[in-house]
Amino acid sequence: MLRGMTRREFLGLLAAGSAGVRVARAQQSGGMASRGVRPQARGKPSGLPFHARFTDVAARAGLRAPVIYGPPDRMDYILESMGCGVAFLDYDNDGWLDIFLLSGTRREGPVEGATNRLYKNNRDGTFTDVTAKAGLVRQGWACGVTVGDYNNDGFEDLFITAWPQNVLYRNNGDGTFTDVTRAAGLLHPGNRWGTGCTWVDYDRDGRLDLFVSNYLVFEFDKIPAAGKDPSCNFKGVPVNCGPRGLVAERPILYHNNEDGTFTDVTDRTGIGTVPPAFGLTAVAADLDGNGWQDIYVACDSTPSLLFRNRGDGTFVEQGLLSGLAVNEDGNEQAGMGIAIGDFDTDGRLDALKTHFAEDTVALYRNTGHLVFEDVTLRSGLGVETRYVGWGNGIVDLDNDGLPDLFWVTGSTFPEVERKHPEFPHKTPRVLFRNLGGGKFEELVDLAGPAIAEAHCSRGVAFGDFDNDGDLDILIMNVNEPPSLLRNDVNGTGHWLKVKLIGTRSNTSAIGAVVTAIYGGRRQAQAVLASSGYLSCGDRRLHFGLGAAEMADLEIAWPSGAREQIKAVHADQLVTVKEGAGIVGRERFGA
Amino acid sequence: MTPILAALLAVAAGALPLRTDEAGTFQAQGQQGTSNAPAQRSGDEAHLSRGVQLMQDQLFEAAANEFEQALALSPQDPRAHLQYAVCLLSLGRNEEARVQFEQVRKLAGESRYVTYYLGRLDFLSNDYASAIRRLGSVAEDPPFPDTAFHLGVAYISSGNVDEGTKWLERAAKVLPRDYRVHYRLARAYTSAGREQDGAREYGLYSQLRDEHKNTEKDVRACTTALRTELLDTARETCHRIYDPNDPDKLTLLGQLFGDAGAFAEALEPLRRAVQLDPNSFEAWHNLGVTCFRMNRYQEARSPLERAVALRPEYYGSVVLLGATLYMLGDDDAALPVLERAHRLNPADTQTEAILEKLRAGRKKE
Repeated sequence: MLRGMTRREFLGLLAAGSAGVRVARAQQSGGMASRGVRPQARGKPSGLPFHARFTDVAARAGLRAPVIYGPPDRMDYILESMGCGVAFLDYDNDGWLDIFLLSGTRREGPVEGATNRLYKNNRDGTFTDVTAKAGLVRQGWACGVTVGDYNNDGFEDLFITAWPQNVLYRNNGDGTFTDVTRAAGLLHPGNRWGTGCTWVDYDRDGRLDLFVSNYLVFEFDKIPAAGKDPSCNFKGVPVNCGPRGLVAERPILYHNNEDGTFTDVTDRTGIGTVPPAFGLTAVAADLDGNGWQDIYVACDSTPSLLFRNRGDGTFVEQGLLSGLAVNEDGNEQAGMGIAIGDFDTDGRLDALKTHFAEDTVALYRNTGHLVFEDVTLRSGLGVETRYVGWGNGIVDLDNDGLPDLFWVTGSTFPEVERKHPEFPHKTPRVLFRNLGGGKFEELVDLAGPAIAEAHCSRGVAFGDFDNDGDLDILIMNVNEPPSLLRNDVNGTGHWLKVKLIGTRSNTSAIGAVVTAIYGGRRQAQAVLASSGYLSCGDRRLHFGLGAAEMADLEIAWPSGAREQIKAVHADQLVTVKEGAGIVGRERFGA
Repeated sequence: MTPILAALLAVAAGALPLRTDEAGTFQAQGQQGTSNAPAQRSGDEAHLSRGVQLMQDQLFEAAANEFEQALALSPQDPRAHLQYAVCLLSLGRNEEARVQFEQVRKLAGESRYVTYYLGRLDFLSNDYASAIRRLGSVAEDPPFPDTAFHLGVAYISSGNVDEGTKWLERAAKVLPRDYRVHYRLARAYTSAGREQDGAREYGLYSQLRDEHKNTEKDVRACTTALRTELLDTARETCHRIYDPNDPDKLTLLGQLFGDAGAFAEALEPLRRAVQLDPNSFEAWHNLGVTCFRMNRYQEARSPLERAVALRPEYYGSVVLLGATLYMLGDDDAALPVLERAHRLNPADTQTEAILEKLRAGRKKE
């Protein structure tokens, strides 16, 4: 034994080496699922031009009021961090898209000017705030919005999810709305946090029913604030708690009784049989092409849900069987937004789901019979894992005939940025252009200045607000004015817009699927009442056609009726009435 | 490390850590193939060791930096190329990782480990034919237990569901507790119309996934209990993690107790963990640490020797083995181990001081 050194001294000297090996445990915090996924390597840029260019024109369009949602510099509670949706709608049927913006508030008390807002399109690139005139002033924690004509009177109504109480606004057809929540039987006992919502005619009776997903049980005084519970941390920084560790909720389905009231049919339709989940965006679409609307719910840190419509007034949950519940390794993700579209133009509706940072989005290819294949990595989307993803779309932004992918981003933990600059609070938009062959390429600088601008965004809606034949983008930014990304397409790609009016079906034609056949492609699009993150887009379907100058249309109406229209010329909006064919044509700018 | 540990502990990007024999082999080959001066070797080893430590802590960017410095000093060292390659793979820098793996092959000859990684890289770049060829060539003598899994997934991605299913079935035998395998298998069966088989695999997947989630909850509860309650009470909470047949949970439990200084509690689960998974570096190292901290040096020796064999570049294991040998009075054995520890971490002046005294003592004798 060495002399001159005691055993104690020696042990002390070597203390550094006597530490146990710390093995990283998955999900040590109680927060959202962040899987620690590293981005895939980026390939060489294709060098191909991209013909869409986006400029944020919100301020000059008159959208200057900030969307208040919690404190400006922190998010102490998960309610403050989740933000809300936006909508493009034509509430006055003048053929021009208006804008509806949801809003939150602050825990401390009412904030002046914090309200949901309706902006009327002035048809000159600007909007006028008509909230008060329309009777829509309301301050609270609004979350999601679905737009649809639930009483089939020809005017789009609004349903809004919110904590602690959802709201139904009936459109009176004269520029005003009436809160009919109580009369419709939609007041629920106690406080609930409704999030995703979508109109859906699940029983094909021609009337829009209503699906609402609920996130979790929330009360300010029953949930630990950020920093109050040591398990609520991200990267070692105390952050708001949840959803993990909090109590999940079940969704609700309301049946439309035709008399202006609704009945809760959650249990008898099978919707209530699923275990509680952290439900967010809900989207209704006929995903298996059998003529009945299915419902897909993005769930945050629990497996996402797919309710297959059995066609007999009931649903069965088939998230796992369909492949839409989890990623290809069987891991649940922090599902936020859902986009439905046909990225591979094979005539089937595919899905894109956004998630937390350090994870990829999930791109699911529909292989038929309600089986989806996770093609995220092989399609090239694995290169982007830096941001928390929210509202999204599978949308042809450059009219080349191939739907692109777009999503907005923003952190839920502003506190983290101070310690970890690599997790900024405000982050850019993400755009992947479709290269064809199932491959995508991320664009940063090629699509205009508005793509790289950093905001803390949530909801997103796509629509052609200036009626110029392309898709513009409306974005909710937390505690900032919204962004309105005007798209200026400069290529030679053609386009076709299709507006459907139901007769046997609900007048909004929500649930219809239109397949455009052009240039050797078959692209399916669904009329959706909800998409992106808790948002709702232009009900007029927009098909980029590339070089094709005409397209054939196949329409599957929500009533079950099918219709074909041959050789529709490009570069126009056609209005198709169920059973009557094309009843209107409009060439924008003419 | 077993596959469940890989899943449970979310090793980044699915890049599995190196195995003992692999590292040992490359070390031997590298030593033959290099002519660096001793001082340079010392710097090389230190960077390599720091890189390994940083990898262990999942600090991959910093680890890559260390490996780059190691390679600047010893560009022909296949160990550094290999560790760097695995690190780059973890970072998603796939093409750079490929270059490094190819370099390992050039310097150290063909290796089924390198073939495995190149196969995985082929898969990530959507070159399924090459992935199948490479992974298939090592599947009968797999370098890692998940080789069959990746081969099965490559087959399925290439459109050959039958062959993919066959390999996934084999993977399910090798990795019966890995929910990923059962999920993929369920998907494969379903797509082939084998509904009953699919339902069975979905059931297994769900069961394992639930167990995994419950373990996460239990780990949180145990951590909190160890921090806030008396050991007797905390023991009961933590015992929910105990599964005598699951080496990963046992290793976790041992780690949690060890972190809380409850070494006596850590001992049994770690002993059982190394029995069940003799290739688990974490289990061996933590068992060695536990015995050492309990002053049971004789019992610490063997686990630490196993840990060092599994990760020769991991400074923490090497220095602790040196200390153990020293405490056992085996100065002859301790000296070269501590010298190696010093090479791995020259900045540790305390080890240097001990070494000087040890050398001085030997001179006097």
